Amino acid sequence: MSNSRILPEFELLAPTSIAEAVEMASEYKDGAAVLAGGTDLMIMLQKSLRPQHVIALGEIPDLDYITYSKNDGLRIGALVTAWQLVQDSKVKKNYTALWQAASSLGSPQIRNAATIVGNILRASPSGDCCCAMLALGGSVVLESVSGKREVPIDEFFIDYGKINRKADEIAVGLHIPAPAEGAVSAFMRMTRMNFDLAKVSAAVRLDMKGKKCGSARVAMGAVAPTTVRIKKAEDILGNTTISQKTLDDVAAAVPRQLKPIDDVRSTADYRRQVSGILVKRTLQAACA
Amino acid sequence: MKKKSITLYINGEEHNVVVDVSDTLNHVIRNQLNRTDLKHCCGRGECGACTVLVDDDRYPTGRKAINSCMVLAAMMDGKRIQTVAGLEKNGKLHPVQEAFIEKGAIQCGFCSTGMIMKSVDILENNPKAKEAEIRQGLEGNICRCTGYTKIVQAVQQAGEVMAAKK
Repeated sequence: MSNSRILPEFELLAPTSIAEAVEMASEYKDGAAVLAGGTDLMIMLQKSLRPQHVIALGEIPDLDYITYSKNDGLRIGALVTAWQLVQDSKVKKNYTALWQAASSLGSPQIRNAATIVGNILRASPSGDCCCAMLALGGSVVLESVSGKREVPIDEFFIDYGKINRKADEIAVGLHIPAPAEGAVSAFMRMTRMNFDLAKVSAAVRLDMKGKKCGSARVAMGAVAPTTVRIKKAEDILGNTTISQKTLDDVAAAVPRQLKPIDDVRSTADYRRQVSGILVKRTLQAACA
Repeated sequence: MKKKSITLYINGEEHNVVVDVSDTLNHVIRNQLNRTDLKHCCGRGECGACTVLVDDDRYPTGRKAINSCMVLAAMMDGKRIQTVAGLEKNGKLHPVQEAFIEKGAIQCGFCSTGMIMKSVDILENNPKAKEAEIRQGLEGNICRCTGYTKIVQAVQQAGEVMAAKK
């Protein structure tokens, strides 16, 4: 039964270190849910999620960081909210797609609570940060009692609601390598109103060498069971000087790569129709 | 733990309360402290009627607007929280409250507690916020009676008053 006032009973665990948190995850595994910002978990608890334990990360200061260096790139801790990320000028400059995704996530109140890592872990096909992250490349950092591993984002979204995380692992952060010299990126989405979840979203990363695009990563959201890369578009863009014709070729190729569905926010037909244009505009925004 | 003893400072008043760890901040304030100066509406972070301002020193104003239905009270131990009832000073309403009355930016009033708190947040950050910025700032607050025109006008009017005071 769904009740938004009374949540099901659970035992709350509030570890104060990562070591303590992974101990708990290893003990309770699937019986535990992990709480960071709470904007997804609270709704899942109202619906059908019935964990015996909730591991709240809020009191682990070591998970609250954004670091950037030319060698190591960007690292974002599991407690970093969308608001925090949007304040960061280095993120805006070097990881524009992710910055734009975080800026458009939910509402101001949601952005003050929701975490970037949480948005990735929710793995919604329409997840704004999922789409941006998939275009930028990088990895999710998972930690368990037996150590850390970084799962490349390309291998992270397995199927609808299914991610490459073991039950005893806690996602402690994200890592995105430093962009190559000349790399640009952008994220765009289509919604009825700003606050809505995306009907369709797109993100691109172009590694430009002067006027020429060396290689490209193109990702889309809400057009398949997970956010997906559009390899055909990437092939067209790689090693070309991007012209109007290139953009038109990409726009024509995109719809054929998708498996959208009808749902409450849009129809498969509409999604297919606008997808090419959306990717084209996202490319134009990245190059602007 | 299934219960936790916490202290909340609501509008400057100290409340020591033992909460079920599964209770939201909204539930505790409304049903344990019996305060109705914040609403419970959608319960899923979509409507903003339960918006309160909570201390967070990383923010330029020292606090942030959150949906009280989306946080566990047990994780809010020691926090200072402001609701619409805490806006009045010495019997005088806050400029945002005054403007909402003057402009008639209320119909049923259900969204008003959250709408006013988010408006205060917008203007504390920038009393000269333009219409588009106000509309953007209120994206997470839904009014189902009518439209947003009078609400936006009220926020603009309050902004002028607040800017003049600064």
